[in-house]
Amino acid sequence: MAYLELNNVSIGFGPPSNRTEVLKDINLSVEENEFVAVIGFSGSGKSTLMSLLAGLQKPDKGQVRLHGSVVENPGPRLGIMFQNYSLLPWLTVFGNIELAVRQVFPKFNKAQVKEHVERYVEMVSLTPALEKNPHELSGGMRQRVSLARTLAMQPEVLLLDEPLSALDALTRAVLQDEIIRIWEEDKRTVVMITNDVDEATLMADRIVPLTIGPEATLAEPFPVTMERPRDRANLNKNPEFMKLKNSVTRFMVGMNKESKDLKVDTSVKMPNIIPHDFTPPSRTSVKVK
Amino acid sequence: MAESTKDKIKYRILKTLDVSGFTAFDPVIRLIFGEEPQKQFAAIVKYLVIPAFFVLSCIWFWSWIGPRHKTKSGEVPTPDIVWESVQINDTIAEREKVKRSDFQLKGAEREAALEQVAREYEILSEEVKAAKALVAEKEAEKKAREEKLIAPLEAKYESLKSEYRDAAKARDAEIARISEEVSEGKLEASALIAAIRNDGIATDRERSELNSYKSRIDEIRSQKYKPLDQARKQYDSVADKQFFMKTRLEFLDDRNLYVKLDEAQSELNEYMAELSTAGSAKDALKIAKRAVRAEESVARLEGQEYASAVTIYHQTKRSIFTVFVGFFMAAFVAIPVGIMCGLNKIFMACMTPIISVFKPVSPVVWLLIFQIVVGAFFPDPENHALLNFLNNLPLISSLEINPALIFSACTVAMCAVWPALVNTALGVASIDQDHVNVARVLRLGFWSRLFKIVIPSALPLVFAGLRISLGVGWMVLIAAEALSSSDGLGKFVWDEYQNGSSLTFANIIMVCFVVGIIGFFLDRMMIILQRFVSFDGGGTSV
Repeated sequence: MAYLELNNVSIGFGPPSNRTEVLKDINLSVEENEFVAVIGFSGSGKSTLMSLLAGLQKPDKGQVRLHGSVVENPGPRLGIMFQNYSLLPWLTVFGNIELAVRQVFPKFNKAQVKEHVERYVEMVSLTPALEKNPHELSGGMRQRVSLARTLAMQPEVLLLDEPLSALDALTRAVLQDEIIRIWEEDKRTVVMITNDVDEATLMADRIVPLTIGPEATLAEPFPVTMERPRDRANLNKNPEFMKLKNSVTRFMVGMNKESKDLKVDTSVKMPNIIPHDFTPPSRTSVKVK
Repeated sequence: MAESTKDKIKYRILKTLDVSGFTAFDPVIRLIFGEEPQKQFAAIVKYLVIPAFFVLSCIWFWSWIGPRHKTKSGEVPTPDIVWESVQINDTIAEREKVKRSDFQLKGAEREAALEQVAREYEILSEEVKAAKALVAEKEAEKKAREEKLIAPLEAKYESLKSEYRDAAKARDAEIARISEEVSEGKLEASALIAAIRNDGIATDRERSELNSYKSRIDEIRSQKYKPLDQARKQYDSVADKQFFMKTRLEFLDDRNLYVKLDEAQSELNEYMAELSTAGSAKDALKIAKRAVRAEESVARLEGQEYASAVTIYHQTKRSIFTVFVGFFMAAFVAIPVGIMCGLNKIFMACMTPIISVFKPVSPVVWLLIFQIVVGAFFPDPENHALLNFLNNLPLISSLEINPALIFSACTVAMCAVWPALVNTALGVASIDQDHVNVARVLRLGFWSRLFKIVIPSALPLVFAGLRISLGVGWMVLIAAEALSSSDGLGKFVWDEYQNGSSLTFANIIMVCFVVGIIGFFLDRMMIILQRFVSFDGGGTSV
């Protein structure tokens, strides 16, 4: 039996008369200590899939199983790292991680908590920012705090929901290496969601494409057999990497084209304009006058 | 190294200005520390000089328009008159203090003070006499000046009057003649009509001519004569001081606490002596009864305190105290109820009709309701346990807590509770879903979820609500005090309006500024608190 399993999981929203199925008949089994990357277009239900895995949402049909038992509620065993950091802005870096540690390890005394927190902050190289508030940190640093908090809970499964999507390319590369290093250091099961083929190919043991929604489901996985450690600098010269990357990309693009072809009759022809992305890089809070 | 400490001080000051909301003074500090002087000068001109100029021009406009608007209770006071009334109120407070200490002086000190005050009184009496003479002199002077101006006008007026009287008589005779001729048929009727009409026109013209002379005379009479005004002012101020000295004399002598005590004590002693030598049982009984009465009066005097007249400072203190009592009552209810509303949609649905209906109710109505409802708790306010307890507390005993204060505070609380409640509910209900997810993943229990996630995330909005509440409370308080006769600024204004002294209007405007300035500082205080709890480093509006 697999370590983490999704059995025929479906979820949707809306009233029965006008129901939109977001995910349909998802089947996935992740082995212990495996690193699985789920890749998909935006809007295909990736984050919903992650919420299901973490137990934050309940599936309409099917089950999520960890160790064979059904996941009913979220908990520290399934450590989710949220897409938008989810740090508590009124607590410092230390305070944010401390809250999690105290909750997960209630038997720790003060010194143990402190030592534990500092170890994980050290792991993401943020020791100088220990007493800073989240709004004083850059996006990449916040992401690292979020990672440290999730790791500090010592979850059995690490669920990374587009952990690097909000970062610039350079910071992203640094954090990718960081995540791989940490994963290799104390092996554990990881499910990472991403929309970046390079990232998936570089980091994962297995790439699972998510088809285009609605009614998205998982397509045939691509195993990544490249040896670790994978050398980022020489990847582009590695024929295996190029081949895999090309086939995944071709699959994804083809799927996109297929779905467009399917839709062509029903959709109005739109001019080819790419809208500006006005979404702010981080959540801004509403100021009250 | 010296440079960095200097910078540190600078940034500390700038930060303080920022937190307290006085960012307009930012360039001044930067200029003092020599940072880009040109830029700072430009900023000072833009954000300090021009606004200051605007405010000054408003004050100028006020002093210009004031005397031009005549009302039933006199002219609208100009800024300098209001400033004068501020000083007068300050003097009153100062004098109350002196009288209180006079009242409590005893022994040699009292005698020395009495002697000195008596001497001052004599000197002032002389001064009053002199001032009175000066006023009389200036009055005569004014009259003489006026007469000089008025005499030719008056002569002219009289001569015109007699001239016009003659002319009117002549016209009457003419009309009589014409009417006779018309009746005899010698002339047309229209001639008579024309004559009468012309007479009317001429009479009107003459009358207006005479009136214009009269009004010129009146105008001269009503013109102010500066030396006389000065002399009168001088007299008023000296007479005022003299009167104050007279009152001091009374408080040092007849009305002094220890003088009265001594009198009562000696009376008691007298009775005691008499009692020992009383001839008959009947006499003894009579004297003993008197002795008991004397004893009681000694006891009463010992507990007596100076009955101070209310001063503006006392009223202000009491108003601030009342508003905080009301405000804390409001916060005490609003925050827990608001949190419950935010947490539970059913509870929110239950509270919504109540909030919606009672929120717009006027403070006046609440005051009346509280006077009836809360008033029922004080069948005998003099001996009520709660009031006695409050009045024996060390810091607030001088504020004389009475039912009126409690009614006003309840009214303030009732009006201030809504903004805090609604904002707290909003703050709790609009908690970020991400933070809720964190709580779920960590499996926080109800209480730690409440205290570690919900309340911290709602705090900025809670304080924004409290800030509005305090503002509303302060505004409501003045009306409530005026209506409930609870000592405070509201009552001060109301009494001024009812009394109608020459300073009434100026005092009311003074209170307007006092209320405004205190309200400003209360708001600033809340802004600073709000800044301390807001975690996003966000600004708060001024």
